Amino acid sequence: MEFGIFTIGDVTTDPTDGTTVSENQRIKNTVEIAKKAEEVGLDVFATGQHHNPPFVAPANPPVLLANIAAQTEKLELSTATTLITTTDPVRIAEDYSYAQHLSDGRISLIMGRGNTGPVYPWFGKDIRAGIPLAVENYNLLYRLWREKSLDWEGKFRTPLNGFTVTPTPLDEVPPFVWHGSIRSPEIAEQAAYYGDGFFHNNIFWPTSHTARMVQLYRQRYEYYGHGKASQAIVGLGGQVFMRKNSQDAVREFRPYFDNAPVYGHGPSLEDFSTQTPLTVGSPQQVIERTLSFRDWAGDYQRQLFLIDHAGLPQKTVLEQLDLLGEEVIPVLREEFAKGRPADVPDAPTHESLVIRHREGRDPIPGGGEGSRAFEDRQARAAEAAQNPTQEGADRS
Amino acid sequence: MSTNTMNIVAVTTSLSEDSTTLKLTNRILGQTASAGESVGIDVTTDVINVRNLATALTDMTLTGFRSEALEQAFATIAAADAIVTVAPVYKAAPVGLHTLFWQLVDDRALSRKPVLIASTGGTARHSLAGDAVLRPMLSYLKGIVVPTTVFAATDDWGTVEGGRALTARIRQAGEELVSLTAAIIGAGNDDLAEVADPDSHAGAGANATRGTSSANRGIVDEFDPANVTPFAQLLEG
Repeated sequence: MEFGIFTIGDVTTDPTDGTTVSENQRIKNTVEIAKKAEEVGLDVFATGQHHNPPFVAPANPPVLLANIAAQTEKLELSTATTLITTTDPVRIAEDYSYAQHLSDGRISLIMGRGNTGPVYPWFGKDIRAGIPLAVENYNLLYRLWREKSLDWEGKFRTPLNGFTVTPTPLDEVPPFVWHGSIRSPEIAEQAAYYGDGFFHNNIFWPTSHTARMVQLYRQRYEYYGHGKASQAIVGLGGQVFMRKNSQDAVREFRPYFDNAPVYGHGPSLEDFSTQTPLTVGSPQQVIERTLSFRDWAGDYQRQLFLIDHAGLPQKTVLEQLDLLGEEVIPVLREEFAKGRPADVPDAPTHESLVIRHREGRDPIPGGGEGSRAFEDRQARAAEAAQNPTQEGADRS
Repeated sequence: MSTNTMNIVAVTTSLSEDSTTLKLTNRILGQTASAGESVGIDVTTDVINVRNLATALTDMTLTGFRSEALEQAFATIAAADAIVTVAPVYKAAPVGLHTLFWQLVDDRALSRKPVLIASTGGTARHSLAGDAVLRPMLSYLKGIVVPTTVFAATDDWGTVEGGRALTARIRQAGEELVSLTAAIIGAGNDDLAEVADPDSHAGAGANATRGTSSANRGIVDEFDPANVTPFAQLLEG
């Protein structure tokens, strides 16, 4: 199981003293946070993709990820999320491939549709086509990373004739892809279809809802024959704020919570903590809450925490990383390993994916022979052959 | 062959403990019970007071998700056979808290459910507010709003004529609600079903729909693997 942090790169005024960091400072802070994440023993740093203020998360995440890769050794560099709807899949294929080479395979992606409506027209896309864009664009990306001299034609971009991505993915194994969604069953289905990972940000919604999304993905993953439901690759977010003493944590975090851009001026900190996975308290409380995710999500592969938002000072964020690294993650590693069935896979790494690829065990999109999806397709084809439709009859 | 129970849920925004809105709610529910009784239907009633959900509704507007109390209220609506909505009118519209409730409930929450609109206000000048504001909103939610709406102003509680007119209107609207609901769920004796829907004898009768359980009419669980659109279909566009 891998542990890390994810950031949306918001530039928010600190409500306790009215100061706002500059974009330049926030960007440099982000790099410092990522380096610190590696230093304290975290596995993953993930960045969002943004095109509008008040965010300075990169418009093209590989720019930031490559910079961090150059300053770290082991840290896995991910996105949370890459906008699959409004970013040209050809550019995603090329830019992330390049970063994958630079980082020796430390790149992974979480695909998302974005939650900022106005972004779509900025890139010539139609927001009403959010799901169809995510479906077609990812299908193209998937093929670009696996097929040379590709001929392709779709609805949303110009056709490609004999196109080959440069550079091709490292060791001919593309970066691992997770599909992120808060509430669209289509995206859980998409992740299952390809045998990719499914990530839920697990921040704004009650766990009862998140659990249903995860279960849907797991069941469909099994249906498509990529493994048992319990072996599907699940990632979760979460947000925490810690101090040694839980009362101190609540007192210090409350003004940031009350004024936070997304949920500020709404529910109380206490209500929100009950209704969503937000945990403000001692490291022990964070440990207990995080371990409880397994009760409804099953054994999972990736846990990311949001810690650097809502105007929290950089010094405080770095202290959060110290607490995560010293007190929380080591215990979580140990406790999550207990009782974890041997056949539940670890989080994919470049090395594990290379082995899987060389052994010919790459997932087959839509389900290969032996899967229920395959059987259903066969049955439907047989039925169609026996009872030709009117259209078929006309054609013959 | 007929089911003889009917659950009517009142969604009422009663801002004080003994408000005229609550009084009107209780009178309408009482009327629907006697309308049911006269045709052999046992009417059960529930009241959801939107006041108790005020914070949860504001929070949901800001965060996008429901508190447990709100989840329960929406489930009660989904399980109801018919709905009565009652709210005070402020500035020629039902109070915002009340319309917010209907704005946050699931789309199609009222599918195949008869709805009775009732309002209270200081003067008769507010009397069309429920029709003007709530009727389109409830239709959007696929509710079947009965023709008669009820409006009670101060005069209706205070004068003899006003009181009589209000009572007559409550009776009229209540009977419309009960008979329409009976026709849809196939409850009560056949005379009543026939009055409400003369064509109900033509087919297998409305009873058939009862088996589908009122709880989930019109709402599809999109997170049930059985209902998911297969990805191959999404790929084809």
